[in-house]
Amino acid sequence: MQNHSGTSLKERIYLDHNATTPHSPLLKQRWAELFEVSGNPSSIHQDSRIPKTWLRETRQKFADYLNCSTLELIFNSGASEGNSSILKSVWHFKQTTQPEFLISAVEHPSVVKTAEHLETLGAKIHWIPVHRNGKIDLEFIKKNISSKTALVSVMFANNETGSLFPIKEISSIAHAAGALMHSDCVQMLGKFDLASLPNKLKDLDVDYATFSAHKFYALTGTGVVYVKKNSPWIPLVHGGGQERSRRGGTENILGIAALGMVMGEIIASAVQVTEMARLRDLFESSVTKEIRGCTITAGESARLSNTSSLVIQGVDGETLLMSLDLRGFSVSTGAACSSGNPEPSPVLLSMGLTREEAQSSLRVSLGWSTTETQIQNFVATLKEVVGKLREINLNSKDQPYVAI
Amino acid sequence: MSQFNEKKSKGRVLVAMSGGVDSSVAAALLVEQGYEVIGATMQVWDYSSCDITEGSGTCCSSLDVDDARSVADKLNIPFYVLNCEAKFKTSVIDPFIKAYLNAQTPLPCVNCNTYLKFDHLIKKMKELDCDYLSTGHYAQVVFDENNHAKIKTSTDDWKDQTYFLFTIDPEIVPKLLFPIGHLKKPQVREIAEAKGLVVAKKKDSTGICFVGSKGYDQFIKENVSAAELETKKGVLKRFPSGEVMADHSGIHLYTIGQGKGLGMNYHEKLFVIQIDALDNTIWVGEEKYLLKNEVDIIEAKWLSEIEDGAEYNVKIRYQHQGSAANIYKTERGYKLKFKDPQRAVTPGQAAVLYKNQQLIGGGWITLN
Repeated sequence: MQNHSGTSLKERIYLDHNATTPHSPLLKQRWAELFEVSGNPSSIHQDSRIPKTWLRETRQKFADYLNCSTLELIFNSGASEGNSSILKSVWHFKQTTQPEFLISAVEHPSVVKTAEHLETLGAKIHWIPVHRNGKIDLEFIKKNISSKTALVSVMFANNETGSLFPIKEISSIAHAAGALMHSDCVQMLGKFDLASLPNKLKDLDVDYATFSAHKFYALTGTGVVYVKKNSPWIPLVHGGGQERSRRGGTENILGIAALGMVMGEIIASAVQVTEMARLRDLFESSVTKEIRGCTITAGESARLSNTSSLVIQGVDGETLLMSLDLRGFSVSTGAACSSGNPEPSPVLLSMGLTREEAQSSLRVSLGWSTTETQIQNFVATLKEVVGKLREINLNSKDQPYVAI
Repeated sequence: MSQFNEKKSKGRVLVAMSGGVDSSVAAALLVEQGYEVIGATMQVWDYSSCDITEGSGTCCSSLDVDDARSVADKLNIPFYVLNCEAKFKTSVIDPFIKAYLNAQTPLPCVNCNTYLKFDHLIKKMKELDCDYLSTGHYAQVVFDENNHAKIKTSTDDWKDQTYFLFTIDPEIVPKLLFPIGHLKKPQVREIAEAKGLVVAKKKDSTGICFVGSKGYDQFIKENVSAAELETKKGVLKRFPSGEVMADHSGIHLYTIGQGKGLGMNYHEKLFVIQIDALDNTIWVGEEKYLLKNEVDIIEAKWLSEIEDGAEYNVKIRYQHQGSAANIYKTERGYKLKFKDPQRAVTPGQAAVLYKNQQLIGGGWITLN
């Protein structure tokens, strides 16, 4: 694809890997093979063999990587479906005896909106505060958890700041009180080396976890839910008995096969994770040195390898994003789901940033193909654009910068 | 689409795209003329927060934004949605409601131009390193012998929208491009068709964008408390005798010159002559009482200097043909003395002055 000035997409620099990752080049190499994956895995005739094989093998690879049973995995359309299914399942079975939920205030909208929906049905939601420094309020959890709590839901890593949360510690608090534990792990794969945990997912001791393939170099529309044996589950989509009657509808077999193809890279991603952390640290030290009035939100907390959330004083994030886009850099001001409706990020606001700070925020998320040269170019361009926008604001008839 | 590193010789333009045919064609013409074009839609309403209740079908949608995006894709230009909800509420919607509750008939499009299109977007234009701001208004920018930029009426008399542009800061006029101002509406549609834009056959937007088909009275009902609306009830009185004729359910439901829907049966045709906000009286009477020779205006804005006592062609509402009047400075603003009496002079509307086809400026009509 080319624009009318003749430059091509390839020249752009993509720094928005928390929104979605580009497809693994491996998928392009194996595209012909992927194209052959047709047929309905539920059919009895021999034409169902290839899709059946991919379904089985991908499930096995994923289970091996997480260190769980294949029976504990359900394929679906993505993490939003997974998160909705989990919260609704728990409510379905626990509403009379355990109508309460403890949910972090910085969850993805698929958790927040489902919880708000359950609230209208009579659930009581305790929103766990996350502080400006990226730390979750464990005391709040301990204080508010009770025998009435059905589920505690805290994401593995925040999509906007990259902050990692102490899932194992929270799980033990939840389980001690008789509650179930869910973690949205959408930002984990490809950005955190799960193999660094001796027992992998088991070390988090969660009852539910959600994943989405397009966040780790495979296709959109493909999700995986981990449901620990004997945990409550009711299908969100009823249908023909697929996924052991836990998720109706013919499987997204192309997406599942693609997920299977990238699993080898995910398993071996420790090197990329280390490199992204190095580049991220380089970026942050360079950007805070080069641009005055620039701070890293929750920079001091334990974080994912690839994410930086910046507050750049005196600059409107929305305008900054557009200016960078016009110069060929893809970044984000917050969660991509709300793009097209660029309100200040509710996550940052809930962490105690002011509206002005939230509106002056920029999210930069690196990927496996990010290079040091790209980072240097980005810092140089960011410096130039920020300088220009600040100058316009100073000369403006309005106040220097007013968030509208 | 990729980065816009090199500016093209004709310059970079930010074009305000509403998703309608006019601004879509404006963008298309700019691309054709060799400008480097960036499209932007101001989102003034939060579509995502629409109340979806079970069984109510689909919620209202941001279809216009989708149309604008689709045109931008077709033209292969960058496109952004700008969140202007908060500013739109404080500078357009709130004053709109307040005006109706204060016995005025508001003109929200002027406020939208004043505070959003030709203020907020001018700032975005500078921030995005653009040389010009463009809209799909039926208006023209012309340069006089001293190379001063002036706003002139459109070739299409029927569609001319300069009436809504009187508050523009003269300093920004040289930065404005109105690519369809020299065209008539059918030609604009033909261009849209020829260029294969999805909006070619889209219906013209009529009325006030945020009110929609439900009508402004319903909009006010949804956005003002019942208790406050209760305080706007009063009576209809015969003008000038003062005879009480009927009760009414709110002054915001009436506008000057209105002859239908007065809520009473009477053997002769009566019209709303005046609305008193102080005691909520709606004065109704014979049409002759609607005629006035003098109009007072306040908060005037001038694109060109005006001469006290000089004669101008003046429009007192958008669809008004214009009529000759002399202007005189007063303590509060200006007085316009019309040669011919004018029907239904309405507070809240604007009186806009022209010299030949040139927009001179204008002010807000107020009660004497």
